[in-house]
Amino acid sequence: MSGSAEFARPVGASWQARALLGRYGIALVLPALLGLGGVLSPAFISAGNLSNLLLQFAPLAIVAIGQSFVMIVRGLDLSVASMMATAAVVATSFSGADRDVPGIFAVTAVVAIAVGLLNGFLVTKRRVSPFLATLATMILLQGLRFAYTQGAPSGNVPPLLRVLGSAKLYGIPYNALVLLGLAVVLGIVLHRSAFGRRIFIVGGNPVTGRLFGIRSDLVTIACYLISSALAAVAGLILSGYVGLVDNWVGQGYELDSIVACVVGRVSLSGGRGSILGALTGAAVIVVIANEVLLLGVPIQAQMIIKGVVIVAAAALYSSRETSSG
Amino acid sequence: MTAALAIRAAVPWWLRSNAALAGVIVLIGIVYGIGASVSDRFLTLANLLNVIEQTTDLALVSIGQTLTVLAGGIDLSVGSLISLASCLTSGLINGNPDRVVPVVIAVLLLGTLVGLVNAGLVVTLRVHPLIVTLGMGAILQGVTLLYALGPVGRVPRGFSFLAYGRIAGLPVGATLAVTLCMLIALLLRYLPLGRQVYALGDDANSARLVGLRRGRILMLVHGCSGFCCAATGLYLAARFGVGQPYTGVNYTLASITPVVLGGTVLSGGRGGVVGTLFGAFLMSLLNNLLNFMDVSKHYQLVAQALIIILAVSIYVERRRME
Repeated sequence: MSGSAEFARPVGASWQARALLGRYGIALVLPALLGLGGVLSPAFISAGNLSNLLLQFAPLAIVAIGQSFVMIVRGLDLSVASMMATAAVVATSFSGADRDVPGIFAVTAVVAIAVGLLNGFLVTKRRVSPFLATLATMILLQGLRFAYTQGAPSGNVPPLLRVLGSAKLYGIPYNALVLLGLAVVLGIVLHRSAFGRRIFIVGGNPVTGRLFGIRSDLVTIACYLISSALAAVAGLILSGYVGLVDNWVGQGYELDSIVACVVGRVSLSGGRGSILGALTGAAVIVVIANEVLLLGVPIQAQMIIKGVVIVAAAALYSSRETSSG
Repeated sequence: MTAALAIRAAVPWWLRSNAALAGVIVLIGIVYGIGASVSDRFLTLANLLNVIEQTTDLALVSIGQTLTVLAGGIDLSVGSLISLASCLTSGLINGNPDRVVPVVIAVLLLGTLVGLVNAGLVVTLRVHPLIVTLGMGAILQGVTLLYALGPVGRVPRGFSFLAYGRIAGLPVGATLAVTLCMLIALLLRYLPLGRQVYALGDDANSARLVGLRRGRILMLVHGCSGFCCAATGLYLAARFGVGQPYTGVNYTLASITPVVLGGTVLSGGRGGVVGTLFGAFLMSLLNNLLNFMDVSKHYQLVAQALIIILAVSIYVERRRME
């Protein structure tokens, strides 16, 4: 954690074979997992199952992209799952007809912007630790949601959102298309734009950022905004997938998205990460969950496997960055 | 600037070094002030003891959590460990009074062991405690569900003394929790290893350079955290009379709130367990007040979140003044 930030390896060296393996090794895990799935159960690599995998992959991947933005600026967003559930509750708060979809989008956008601003404000202006700030937002959203629904949300998801969340176009789910669009746009923002470079500078070394004249507070707030906006999109999609709503849509996504990022080599201490990494991490999680399900492993064993995978993956891919700790 | 200095000079030193603790006590005072105007039953000794009794579980978990946070880490396996401990307690005792003592000892040892394993994994795998304990949490929840898918076993009638009993008018469980807290506070203050917890949390790199053994320190804090979780599990089994596989779920994140309210900084190195005790008491008192005011459970969450935001914002403002 300490030495690596000050003495970053020169760019040329990272093209050595070992560095490449370290950097993209996770991409090898995914095909291996897919192959393993095919061996274990032929049903796994059927077009139908792969298409279903994509369907489940999209919401987590969208949240993980937002999470990676926040993690790169040395943050953490625990409020994403609560944001997802709130978006889902908003989605069913109208009459359930398609003409309400613009209204749903508008209300969700307002909530997401408010949440992102609150998180960013607490973290930058009040110097609250990200873990705590987003934890407080999470509880706040949860409370408001429960107060609004009186604990028992009801109502229907508009058909348009259902299409977005669960329908497929020639076997490709619509939500995967949404994911693709978001990933491309945000990938360009993060990896090819001046703003993206500022994100990495602020996350890598805030002092350097300040010396460069970067307004690090604004950059950080923007990252929290991106995260809650993406969580809102994922929540709407997931509500369309589930079809009905309860107060817990998206439960567990906050931790899953963090794990996806860690598995995808987004650094917990900031300054390092990529959209592709976050996507790969999310894919690994979804594929493992699906394989475990296909094998008919009981739920208890699923949790144990998940725990082992979390620790093992982090040990494999984050050992280099914390080697001095 | 001069105004800030003048304000600073006017604040007594003991308040400056315990600003967060003072803040919590002020908040407790405010809650009492509101409570007094809401109902005259709020200020009674009976209600105070009642609130203290209800604080026991949260206080116990949070004391352990404080240690891991002080050392610059966190323990996200507490919820699952509490569930496991509560299930094992009632499942193994299963109504047989003769088994109480061995099972209690075994459960406490198991909790400590889980903490030690957490520490060992953090050190050997070089993975952030957040991830290790998150993974451990998932594993332990799985193990708990392997053991019991629903409420399991029962505890003998006498065992509930731990949760509801009173000695000389004082609630037993809460007294034990306060004693444990005091022991840990002394340990942190007077044992070299205790002070090293602060050193590690404040600056891990410097701690390494002066030769502190990170492994030992982490084993101490995670071991204590595991022990506290096991104790919480025992307490919950006594309170409900039966172990439930999801009984601890909410404690994972809930245990962080009292820690922070009590002035322990999440990045480590500053704070202490006594503040946590007051933080836990504030949370219970707040819920108690909202119950008196007939506020629905849903709004209690909102109030809880607002208190957290308020408290940490004020505290940070003060730190900046230094």
